[in-house]
Amino acid sequence: MELFAQLVPKTFWNAPNNSSELMIKIFIGLVVGIALFYGLMTAPAQFRRPIVVAVTFVSGLFYVLFWLYPAPINRQPTDGPRNLPESVSFWVSDSQAVVSDITNIVAAFLIGLGIYSLGRVHLGKVIKKQRDWQFSAVLLVSLVVMVIFGYADFWMRLLPENSKMAGSGYVGWTFWQYGRDLLFNGLLQNMDAAMFSIVAFFILSAAYRAFRARSIEATILLVTALVVMLSLMGLVEFYWGAGVDHIHASNNFKLTNIAAWLGKNVQTPALRGIDFGVGIGLMAMGLRIWLSLEKTGGMN
Amino acid sequence: MGLQYLDNGWIGIFITLVMVFLILFNIFRAHGGKDLYIRRISGLDSIDEAVGRATEMGRPVMMVLGLSTNVNAKTMQAINIFAYVARVAARFANPILVCCADATVLTVCQEVIRDVYQQEGLGDQYDVDSVRFISDRQFAFAAGVAGLILREKAAAAFFMGEFYAESLILAETANSVGAIQVASSTEVTQIPFFIAACDYVLIGDEFYAASAYLTRQPVLVGSLVGQDWCKLAIIGMVIVGFITNSIQLRGGPNNTITQRWNEGKFEDLPKPGAFKIGDTTLSRWLNPDPAKDMKFDRPKLPPEELPQKSSGGGG
Repeated sequence: MELFAQLVPKTFWNAPNNSSELMIKIFIGLVVGIALFYGLMTAPAQFRRPIVVAVTFVSGLFYVLFWLYPAPINRQPTDGPRNLPESVSFWVSDSQAVVSDITNIVAAFLIGLGIYSLGRVHLGKVIKKQRDWQFSAVLLVSLVVMVIFGYADFWMRLLPENSKMAGSGYVGWTFWQYGRDLLFNGLLQNMDAAMFSIVAFFILSAAYRAFRARSIEATILLVTALVVMLSLMGLVEFYWGAGVDHIHASNNFKLTNIAAWLGKNVQTPALRGIDFGVGIGLMAMGLRIWLSLEKTGGMN
Repeated sequence: MGLQYLDNGWIGIFITLVMVFLILFNIFRAHGGKDLYIRRISGLDSIDEAVGRATEMGRPVMMVLGLSTNVNAKTMQAINIFAYVARVAARFANPILVCCADATVLTVCQEVIRDVYQQEGLGDQYDVDSVRFISDRQFAFAAGVAGLILREKAAAAFFMGEFYAESLILAETANSVGAIQVASSTEVTQIPFFIAACDYVLIGDEFYAASAYLTRQPVLVGSLVGQDWCKLAIIGMVIVGFITNSIQLRGGPNNTITQRWNEGKFEDLPKPGAFKIGDTTLSRWLNPDPAKDMKFDRPKLPPEELPQKSSGGGG
């Protein structure tokens, strides 16, 4: 198994296996990380904000460069940079995987906090026998059992003698593989699917409320939805088409064409308009966070 | 990854930079004390009403952050809105419940909500379990939140952030217990579901206008006005594009060309071809050239610097 800093191809961020360069880089990384944490925790209150602002700015700057700086054209693995601008673009593209891995590592640490939150809430409920504590007990038991079977299966598949197990149906399966299969494919996936299927019923009840003609807007929505729905019903579309066939320019009055026109000329522009607004809003929000202009906490 | 801008595609970057300038300019303008106008947004006006109703009924206020798998701009905006809701709820001593689908989001949210309670001088009323991690699986999260809504009989439910197929499950469940609902999704595909099922919906960029509207901080209000300027600029560009494309595409299929833009220059076509939308000047300016066939004489790396054969793992 390779370490984080042994990624290939060779870049500024990694080093050959077992080389002293690799160990030095790992050591420097550790020292810088610990120094940053220590510095942030012991810094006087008035310096904490500037430190956070600086780290946020540098982190954001990388992605600004990544998306906006010209990328190298047709770079081959054996190519070196020709000049300074290309050196920067090579460095930026090589660094991306490492920078995104940093995010993944931080997130992996935080999953522990998520499990702690779950455990705290539900264990407390079980111990104090609060209302509906049985559900919490089921959750905790499921959590532990799933972890045990998941890890047992994972480690067994790593063993050389079990290499055939991967992707070969039930060949060589033991109690742990059958157990994991029952829990994951037999229970969890099916429960997911059951939850998803509930959406169909909720669509019906929500549509019933939304499509009541209480206002002009709701009536327009109702009529439009009706046209689109009818256009998808083959039988209705067939008889409607036959009915309007004798009219001049009858194609314009066919349900499928009306529905297509609504989709192309009404729905798509509206969605694009919303997308523009959302995109600009997102950019403004990102800019405020990057430049630390945003103050969270809903100050009033 | 950034694209290669030979002599086209740069206009996209230029437009982005202009928008950045417009937003920053308005932020500094608002910072200078300029009073800027924001229109009324009923979905945000309803927050006080929803929390007040929950207080009267003695039931909790539920806040759901959606399925964001990381702390990004969308999540931060949702957390900002929830911070305001939590502040109002804290003043009324009303219980809150915040549901997260990601542990990173949970951590940030816990800190922000705790800060809000402390700022209000009610730090002792903050319940650490009021901000909860439910699950990072979509429908397990939906089932968990729906169960909480039903058991706790939430009087007000706020759904803000990234929602997908679970949006309707949550909204309809909250409706079934009579909760007043305020929702917003950054996914346009989910907005219709929220409109159908919820009392108030923040559509599109109203979601990003929320913190400016609620807090009236100069930076946020300036940013919001900058966003409106950007929208005006986009409307202008749409009109320019409509006119220039209409002129260039006149004549329909009979409008033929003998040269086509390729890899940074015009190349002769073997025979005249139809003038397509991709041949318009605006399309050429806005779409960076992929330059697939360009070759460069780059220096070769020494053998020790060359990629090594991986023995597996590590990425």
